[in-house]
Amino acid sequence: MESVSDTSWDVVICGTGLQQSLLALALSRSGKKILHVDPNHFYGGAEAAFSLQDAESWANEVSAKDAGLFRSASVARHESAAGLSSRSYSLAMAPTLIHARSALLSQLVSSRAYRQVEFLAVGSFFIFRLPQDSAQQPALIRIPSTREDVFAATTISSKAKRGLMKFLKFVLDYQNPPQLELWQSHAEAPLTEFLQQEFKMDAELQTYIVTLTLSLNGKITTRDGLAVIRRHLSSMGVYGPGFAAIYPKWGGLSEVAQVSCRAAAVGGAVYMLGAGVQAVETAGDEVKLELSSGDTVKTRILVRADDNPSEQTGISRLVAVVGSPLTSMFEVVVEGASRPAVAVVAFPAGSLSTPAGKASEYPVYLSVHSSDTGECPVGQNVLYLTTLSTPDSRQLLEEALEAFVGTAGEGQPAQILIQIRYEQLAGSGSFQPEGPVITFPSPSFSLSFDDSVLEPVQQAWKRIMGDAAAESDYMSFADREGAMDDDDVYE
Amino acid sequence: MADTGNAVKPSSSVKLVLLGEAAVGKSSLVLRFVNNDFQENKEPTIGAAFLTQKCNLPTRTIKFEIWDTAGQERFASLAPMYYRNAQAALVVYDLTKPTSLIKAKHWVAELQRQASPGIVIALVGNKLDLTNDGIGNGADGDGAGSDDSGDARKISTEEAKTYAEEEGLLFFETSAKTGYNVTEVFTAIANAIPETSLKTTRGPGASHAAGRTEEQRVNLNGPRDPNAKEGCAC
Repeated sequence: MESVSDTSWDVVICGTGLQQSLLALALSRSGKKILHVDPNHFYGGAEAAFSLQDAESWANEVSAKDAGLFRSASVARHESAAGLSSRSYSLAMAPTLIHARSALLSQLVSSRAYRQVEFLAVGSFFIFRLPQDSAQQPALIRIPSTREDVFAATTISSKAKRGLMKFLKFVLDYQNPPQLELWQSHAEAPLTEFLQQEFKMDAELQTYIVTLTLSLNGKITTRDGLAVIRRHLSSMGVYGPGFAAIYPKWGGLSEVAQVSCRAAAVGGAVYMLGAGVQAVETAGDEVKLELSSGDTVKTRILVRADDNPSEQTGISRLVAVVGSPLTSMFEVVVEGASRPAVAVVAFPAGSLSTPAGKASEYPVYLSVHSSDTGECPVGQNVLYLTTLSTPDSRQLLEEALEAFVGTAGEGQPAQILIQIRYEQLAGSGSFQPEGPVITFPSPSFSLSFDDSVLEPVQQAWKRIMGDAAAESDYMSFADREGAMDDDDVYE
Repeated sequence: MADTGNAVKPSSSVKLVLLGEAAVGKSSLVLRFVNNDFQENKEPTIGAAFLTQKCNLPTRTIKFEIWDTAGQERFASLAPMYYRNAQAALVVYDLTKPTSLIKAKHWVAELQRQASPGIVIALVGNKLDLTNDGIGNGADGDGAGSDDSGDARKISTEEAKTYAEEEGLLFFETSAKTGYNVTEVFTAIANAIPETSLKTTRGPGASHAAGRTEEQRVNLNGPRDPNAKEGCAC
C-alpha cells in the first residue's frame, strides 16, 4: 500500500469540524485523492460530542494549552454522580437547532447523507419570567407556537394578541412592497424598537419575538430579525405538525460532521486522527505539510480552519446533566405531533442578576435535551446554557441554571449531576483562500444553524474542482448500492 | 427474510458495525445477508460501505443499518466513527487464519472499552466451507485459500466458543460462500438487542410506547411540502 508520504494528494483537509467535514462530503464522489486529518483524537472539532471521560480529558487539554478557541474549561461531577457510566453520555459542544428551511437539510437530503442521521423535533420555546410581586413564583411561560395557540393563550391580553397577529401576518410577506416600506427605515435599528413603534408591542411581547430569533445579544437588527422570524414561521410544519426546527440525535452537529466523514471514507478518503498540520511550506503549485504524526505529505490544496482568536469576544457555556425527566418541558401541544426531544428557555436581558445585584446585560439561552436525543440516560436531561461572555457571564449561567431547576423540577428541584463550563472565542472570522491554502472561518456561535456557514464550504469545493465544478452537481448524489429507501421492499 | 405480511408490527432501526482483519469475509457476509449472493475474489472494501436490510421477528421488525468497514484501514481512525452509537457489532475472523482471531479479540476489547455500554457483540468465524466439518462446504471445496487436504481449519470451534462465552459474546461459525448460518447470526443479534434500547421508555405513557422510536424520528424524505402552511404564529 502506498504510504501517505508517497501519495500526491489533491486535497488535505485539516480538522473534522462541521465545515471541513461537509467539504469532505461534497468531495466524496469527486475522485479526488483526499487525506483528512485532525490533531484531536476525536471527530467534530468545535462541534464534537463527548462522553464524560472525553469531556474530562478535553477540559484538561484546554486548560493545559491556553491557545486555540477554547478557554477555562472544567468538568465537575456531583458526588452522587460518581458511578455514572461515561459512555452513556454524548454531550454536544454545538447543540445547534436546525430550522426546517435551512439549506443544510436540503444538502443532507440531496447528498443522501441524511439517511444515516436521526432527526428529532424541537418543541416549545419558553420565557423565564420573574414574579411581578413577591407573592408569585418565577415561571416558565410558553411562547404560543400556532395561531390557535395565540388565541388560546391566557398570558396575553386580547389587545396584545391583535398586535401579535398583525405582526405575524406582516412577517410572512415582509419582503414585498407595501410591507417593505414599513420596516426599511428601521432596517439597522434594533428589532425591539421597530416592534414597539410600528406594532405597539409591550416589552413582554417584544421579548417573545426576540427570543424566537435566539439573538445572543438580544439587540438583533430589524433586518436580520425579520429574516430569522420569517424563517422560523415558514419552517413550521414542514416536516410535521407543531415544530419548526429539528435536532440530530446523538449530539447535534457532531453527528452531521461524522456522517459526512463516513460518506467521504466510503468514497475513499483516508482518515487520520491525532495528526495535525504542524508546518506548511508552499513550493510552486504544491504544498508540503509536516504532520504531527511525523509524516511529511504533499498536496495540491490544503483546507483548514481558523483557530486563532483575533478578538476577545466569545460565549460562555455551561452544560449540566440533571437527574430528572422534566416531562413538562416536552409536552405535545399540537394534535398529531411527535413528542419533541428539545425545548428552549430564554432568560431575557435583565431577568437574572449576580449575587452582587448586577442585572444581566444579555439574554441567557437554555436548551433542554431529553434522553431521546441519546445524549444522556433515560430519566435525565442535558441542559445547554449559553450567553455572551462578560466578566459576569459564568456567574449568570449559574444563576440561570439554579432558577431553571427550581422552576422546572416536578415538585422538587432537579438534582444536578454533572457540570461542564467553558468559554469559546471568536476567530478572525472571514473565509480566506490564499493560493493553495484555504482557511475556513472559526465556528459560528449561532444557536440555530446559520446557513452562511455553508458558503465557504461551497466556495472551497469550487476552487478544488476548478473547471469541473457545476453548481447543480454540488452535494447532489445518487444513493449508493445497498443503501435503500425506507419505503423500498427488501425481499 | 420473508415478510410475513404482518403490517402492524413495530419496527426499529438497529445500527450494526462489522469489524475484523482484512479478507476475513466481512463484506461477503453482508452481501450474503442483504442480497443472498456471493462473489469470488471480491475487491477489498475501500473506506467502508453502508447497507440496509430488514429482519422480521415474530413480534417486531428490525431494520439493520449496516456499516461494513475496511479491514485494511491504515490509521485505525475510522472504526470509532462507525461503532459510535452502534447497538450491535459483528466481529469476524477467518477460521483458517489464527492471526485473524487475535485481531478479532483486539476489536472486542476496543468495543468493550469504547462503544455504547449495551452493545451486542457477535463473534463470527467465517469460511467454514474451507473445513471438512461436513456442513456448508461446497462439493468441490476449492474456495480461495483452501489446501489440498480439504480442511484448512486452524482455529477450533471450542477455542473460539470458550473465548466468546468468557466475554459474553454471541458466537457462530459461518460460510458466506454457501450461506451457512449467515441469516442466523443476524437473527440472533436482532433477538439479543434489549427491547428497552429499541424504544423510548419515558415515565407516563411508556406502557404503550412500542415503536415510539420510529414515530419520533423526523422523516426528511417525506413529502416536503414546499407550501407548508405558513399561517402558523410564532
